[in-house]
Amino acid sequence: MPRLTARERREGYQREYAFQKRHGKPFFPNAVFHDTIVSLIVVALIMGLTILWYAQFGPVSADPTAERVGGLLGPAYEAKADPGVLGYHPQPDWYFFFLFELLRIFKTPQLLIVGTIIIPTIWMVLLIGWPFIDRNPDRRLSRRPIALAIGVMVPVVLLTLTFYGSKAPGVGGAASTEPGAAAFAGGACSTCHVLANAGTAGNVGPVLDDAKPDYATALKLITNGQGGMPSFKATYTEDEISCLAGYVATWSAAVGETPGPNADTAKETYPASCEKAGGLFTGTASSAAGP
Amino acid sequence: MSTLLPPPKEIAMMPVDWVEERSGAISFGKFMLFRNVPKDISWLQTLGSALITVFILQSTTGILLAMYYQPDPDTAWSTIQWITNDATLGWLVRGMHKWGSSIMVVLLFLHMGRTFLFGAYKYPREMTWITGAIIFILVMGMSFTGYLLVFDERAYWATIVGVNINGTAPILGPALSYILMVGPEISTYTLSRFYSLHMLVLPSAIGGLIFLHMLLVVRLGVTSPPWSRMQPTEDDV
Repeated sequence: MPRLTARERREGYQREYAFQKRHGKPFFPNAVFHDTIVSLIVVALIMGLTILWYAQFGPVSADPTAERVGGLLGPAYEAKADPGVLGYHPQPDWYFFFLFELLRIFKTPQLLIVGTIIIPTIWMVLLIGWPFIDRNPDRRLSRRPIALAIGVMVPVVLLTLTFYGSKAPGVGGAASTEPGAAAFAGGACSTCHVLANAGTAGNVGPVLDDAKPDYATALKLITNGQGGMPSFKATYTEDEISCLAGYVATWSAAVGETPGPNADTAKETYPASCEKAGGLFTGTASSAAGP
Repeated sequence: MSTLLPPPKEIAMMPVDWVEERSGAISFGKFMLFRNVPKDISWLQTLGSALITVFILQSTTGILLAMYYQPDPDTAWSTIQWITNDATLGWLVRGMHKWGSSIMVVLLFLHMGRTFLFGAYKYPREMTWITGAIIFILVMGMSFTGYLLVFDERAYWATIVGVNINGTAPILGPALSYILMVGPEISTYTLSRFYSLHMLVLPSAIGGLIFLHMLLVVRLGVTSPPWSRMQPTEDDV
């Protein structure tokens, strides 16, 4: 089929649509009937979910680290926001799970921006600009193999990300509330290392529960890196590195029967560094919310 | 006397005629209702109107919630608690607003999927798609600004994560985080800023774009399905 000129395309479309309108049916009552039924179903669905949610939610737990209470549809609300709590596992609402999962995939400091800015920006540009990208004038699916493939792939990718995002323990989701745990679990450390206390299961680097580095070794490794481990000199402040090193030395030693060297000294001193470094190392330290 | 008065039917129509003569609203309404749409449109083209219904529902429940809610870190959570537990049917209003938001996101995806599969974004409806895509992004902004307002643990920490995501952008990132939170951390000002965005800025923008979107839909007409057999033959031309 020869390529149509803009004028041919316009005239062809106008002829076809004018024909369809001439032989069409009035908006009322035909389309209005369908619209009303579907709108009523949607409102009934929203009310149904609300009633189910209301019937199921239990009392609000005072302990923010406790499992979320409430039925299948979740609690009415959780405990009042408390910026001092570090062991909390923040999780967004379901429609941001896909973004949340991207954040988990690209969680090393060097790659973080891919998940947080680059991919979402590309998605938004593609979404808005799509009519200019797909220049195929045909509307039949059998003539649009590429568009059909993209149309199937995008929901599959989004649903997969949403599914895994919903299973995620949460950014900064440390298993314990020890000083440094939230930073260890929420930061780059968790990508590569297993540490029982923080509840992390990264399998790239050594299992810290077995390696049991002492404070000085941990400090040196986090600062300068070694082998596959990157240097975090530029990522964290001295206090933050000292906090992480102390946390790793203390709590890797606490696992099993052979405590690592210097564990006891580190246990005494490192919480002070964590105190100075602040909670999640994200500039949102544990200070009060209100002024 | 009777000769001076017009017949009752004419008296009844007087206010209608008065409005019609000055605004044309009646003939516009008639045009909207009785304009022809392609013969083979059906259930698949109802998602847009369902979205308008949900938007009206969200606005109504949102206005009711705003009458009782206080955007202040000390009292926000208590007002939510009061609305849910003590206000008459407060749980229904808040619940419908909460679940309405989820349903709206689902419907947006379905509406967009339908448009995509029908190729309804193609000539001459490119602008309709673009306005819709912007509405979609703004609705995600509504979701994001909405859940801080509950001011429970989830709201607080999820917002910090969200703001930090913005903060990773090159050059503009830290400034964007600072502008969103009105400072380095979540405070009274963050809450009022999110509240203002959530109930004034974003809804007006979405409302305006819905109007534009609808204007384009009416002007260009509803798309028939791509498998439509309603094709003009040589005889019709």
